Amino acid sequence: MYIPFIIVAAVIIIYVISIYNDLQKLKTQIVASIQEIGNQLKRQASLIPNLQATVKGYLKHESSIFKMLTDARKAAEKAEQTGSSKDIDDAITQIQQAVPKLTIAVEDNPEMKADKSVAKFMNELTDTADKLMYARRSVIDLSQTYNQKLVIFPSNMIANMFGFKPEKGLATALTGSHVEVSTAETKDVKVEF
Amino acid sequence: MTHYQAVAQNKRRSSLIIVLFIAFISGASYIMAEGMGYSLSIVGWALVVSGLISFFSYWYSDKIILGISGAREAKRDEFFDFYTVAENIAMSQRMPKPRLYVIKDTAMNAFATGRDPEHAVVCATTGLLKRLNRSEIEGVVAHELSHVKNYDIRLMSIVTILVGLVALLSDWFLRMTRWGGGRKKSNDGDSQIQMILFVVGLVLAILSPLIAQLIQLAISRRREFLADISGVAMTKNPEGLIKALEKISQDKEPLEAANKATAHLYISNPLKNTHGGVGMFAKMFRTHPPLKERVSALKQL
Repeated sequence: MYIPFIIVAAVIIIYVISIYNDLQKLKTQIVASIQEIGNQLKRQASLIPNLQATVKGYLKHESSIFKMLTDARKAAEKAEQTGSSKDIDDAITQIQQAVPKLTIAVEDNPEMKADKSVAKFMNELTDTADKLMYARRSVIDLSQTYNQKLVIFPSNMIANMFGFKPEKGLATALTGSHVEVSTAETKDVKVEF
Repeated sequence: MTHYQAVAQNKRRSSLIIVLFIAFISGASYIMAEGMGYSLSIVGWALVVSGLISFFSYWYSDKIILGISGAREAKRDEFFDFYTVAENIAMSQRMPKPRLYVIKDTAMNAFATGRDPEHAVVCATTGLLKRLNRSEIEGVVAHELSHVKNYDIRLMSIVTILVGLVALLSDWFLRMTRWGGGRKKSNDGDSQIQMILFVVGLVLAILSPLIAQLIQLAISRRREFLADISGVAMTKNPEGLIKALEKISQDKEPLEAANKATAHLYISNPLKNTHGGVGMFAKMFRTHPPLKERVSALKQL
């Protein structure tokens, strides 16, 4: 008589435990991927001075690139210390702007292009920028999965029961010019010859 | 099909292939024993041997396939983009970095193998790594890593070895019948049954490579589309894979290291010159959907 009730209760308990564990797992994974960002920022900050030392001789007249690299290093160091998502965003943007400029400078300069150590540092820098991008995406994806469980039925009941709070992920403003489409942008582009 | 369904289906099919393989070998050896007058103990031996082969092909599939293809390990310094890109995508997918190998060949191709994500191998030709840029390599590696993540690699490696073996065995059987078996000469009724079984065995022997080939193709074509899509979901950059596929499709050179058994593992069909047929028949025997169809599917994303 009681057996069906016991089975139903057991199923519910197993479900609650599995959702609880999923949420806890996701939380630790989010923390780990944020730490990964810090790790890559550190790598970037220590890579840049080495790169600057190698390209210094070639880039006497390109002080703007030098300044960009210095700024990118400073931004990385700052982000690593404060850990705030705005600083992380800043650091990533800076390096993503500096790398293409430097690539063009290297392409234009045959001497520099032939230098193996310059090429090596360029590669490492590109890779670090990629790694930062992927680490940041992990945080975004994981937070999305976690937050989704907090709002959809029935996992939201369990999340409420244990008081799980939504994760911010990486703070990106939800309003602003990057999510708006102006009327000019919706029109077809006319190319005239 | 979601990722979890794909994984479950691949694991199920992998077991099914092993069961079918053992059943096929035992059945074939039974027919052989009856039809050619050998003792039935051969069936027992066939069971044991096919069981052992299945186990080894499951456990050592990556090593066997790498050995067949003549691949060597890729070092970080030498193949920087390949290595770091694989590292990055594996990191973002929270899966272990696969072991990386290269085949020294100017043809452009790549494949993944292994029994699960913990024992996965991604292999590319030096021609591919030399002619693609970083974001294109990223597209190819993401495609291969989604084969790894979906457990396509387990199914495809088992199919490679077991199906290859069936083809080999039926080849032997055909040769044996040509010499003429049958040590047991008894009365007419018996020899009639023997004759029927002999014919059945012969038909099976002729058909089996064909059947095997068809299984192999049915398994891999849909998977290529799926791996393209989920690979793009990893990089969020369809352009990389599209450009890579376009460059690969312009490459007309066949890959010497590939053969019929390993062809379905690669990102694009490595046996270009041998698959020139047209119409339904050619379509049935293709290991890969045409690159054009794949590119247009990606462009719709």
